[in-house]
Amino acid sequence: MFRKILVANRGEIALRIIYACKELGIKTVAVFSEADRHALHVRFADEAICIGPPKSSDSYLNIPNIISTAELSNVDAIHPGYGFLSESAYFAEVCEASRIKFIGPSSEAIRLMGDKARARSEMNRLGLPVLPGSADSIHTDKEAIATAEAIGYPVIIKAVAGGGGRGMRIVHGRNELLLALKTAQAEAASAFGAPHCYIEKYIERARHIEFQVMADEHGNAIHLGERECSIQRRHQKLIEESPSVIMTPELRAEVGNRVVQAIKKTGYSNVGTLEFLVDEKKQFYFMEMNTRIQVEHPVTELVTGIDLIRDQILIAAGDSLPHRQEDIQFRGHALECRINAEDPVTHKPSPGKITSWYSPGGPGVRVDTAAYAEYVVPPHYDSLIAKLIVHGATRDEAIRRMDRALEMFVLEGIKCTIPLHRQILHNSAFRKGNIHTRFLEQLQEPRVRAVEMA
Amino acid sequence: MNLKELKEIIDIVTSNESIEELEIEKSGVRLRIRRSSNHVTSVSTVPVASIAASPAISATPVPPKAVVETEELFYIKSPIVGTFYTGPSPDSESFVSVGDMVEKGSVLCIIEAMKLMNEIESEVAGEIVSVLVDNGQPVEYGEKLFAIRPR
Repeated sequence: MFRKILVANRGEIALRIIYACKELGIKTVAVFSEADRHALHVRFADEAICIGPPKSSDSYLNIPNIISTAELSNVDAIHPGYGFLSESAYFAEVCEASRIKFIGPSSEAIRLMGDKARARSEMNRLGLPVLPGSADSIHTDKEAIATAEAIGYPVIIKAVAGGGGRGMRIVHGRNELLLALKTAQAEAASAFGAPHCYIEKYIERARHIEFQVMADEHGNAIHLGERECSIQRRHQKLIEESPSVIMTPELRAEVGNRVVQAIKKTGYSNVGTLEFLVDEKKQFYFMEMNTRIQVEHPVTELVTGIDLIRDQILIAAGDSLPHRQEDIQFRGHALECRINAEDPVTHKPSPGKITSWYSPGGPGVRVDTAAYAEYVVPPHYDSLIAKLIVHGATRDEAIRRMDRALEMFVLEGIKCTIPLHRQILHNSAFRKGNIHTRFLEQLQEPRVRAVEMA
Repeated sequence: MNLKELKEIIDIVTSNESIEELEIEKSGVRLRIRRSSNHVTSVSTVPVASIAASPAISATPVPPKAVVETEELFYIKSPIVGTFYTGPSPDSESFVSVGDMVEKGSVLCIIEAMKLMNEIESEVAGEIVSVLVDNGQPVEYGEKLFAIRPR
């Protein structure tokens, strides 16, 4: 077992990792930028070292300074959290070369899944259906037109190195195609440093459903069921839940089994998530695999009773899987609302000082956050300030619990997404589980227009 | 602010009994003088930046001499995370010692990071007033390494 772990992240996920380490009796080292000197991960870690100025590229993405810190503080392992270096195959490689355990899969696995086009063809070969599309990145206009015609419109253009909705364009006809491809390539080049894009079939009313998997370094793998993340804005998730309303135990077992077989064949280890688009006929199409812990992991933790971060650490230390598939039970319903520091209507970021703060409690309520009263939300990082997660016996109970928790959440001084969450929760289509990935866009369209006209 | 100015300010406060307390903030230094039974009992000045971070420091009276020096000094800070070495190898002499005059660009120390020896150069010309880190100690980003009185 590890003696000491460096937490290469900030915010709520850095704290979440520190919780797990404290419970396992492992010492922690926090790294922080000059903007985070008063952050809670700095306060609660056993040691803390400043690794650079506020800009992420000079601090939380500064591999030499993070590795130096790891060597100086004599840690056995690094937990990358999500975002930042968590899906950097290069960083995982540097850790491997420095004999520091990277808590995640091997650098080869990260590299394979990081290339979205390659991941798609590999997973398709291993038995997961994918949407019809270009097998590889598109290089010429002629190629783009031929591919789109063959698949049939609408199509979606995606960045090979993609994520977070950048480098994505939906195209409804040939006249929009080439311009959209150029814009997507330019966006991909600036966001990921690589302009390559691929084209695939676009489903109008799709659900986003993902499977949580866990695999050890001895060839064992299990799945921990699904999360539905159809409530998104600009391809960024806002509400996640488990189970999905369309799921049945039989369908879960069938898709779950395929997923487990596929990742066993890739030799994957540690936790991971396979994302699927699901059409109205409940057909699952593999989109991509995230090779890290995800923001919405608590939803799975509440329905399965499993501590995913703890298990990540145990697996990285070489332990065998602590659970067998037949032991995994799904109890009740969990929901997560992401409370972001942003305008609930325009989604513009709203950094600044939190003047007043109360986070709700009571039965079935969990708040994962690193914010507090008087905390200043820095403008340099992502806008997530808290995850409000609830558990109930049924979906209806979970929704009512979430609604009262949101009502009792006091967060003043900055704008946040709480009013938007309450609006979604009160929507009758949402209550019925009648949701798809463009639900929020359609809910907000009239309001955004009204704001723009005013 | 130099010693002469500081003395003048104290003289003004002590000569005028209607002044109970005086607080001045100027170019990064905050000075507070408070009268107690007609005597000046506490003169404490600290850089403004450190007041919020460590309120405990501002409660400690600091000798005026040290204060005046603090204000004029230039600090060389570590640009990376690593191990601080005063000389090019364990048994060789330090690049610089207290009292040495250095030029802009003079090598002051080495910070080792990921097996690479990074020479840290002076950003100013002046006299080394203090070496703030012990040989072989780890340093973080932005940590103060040397205090230099600029020439």
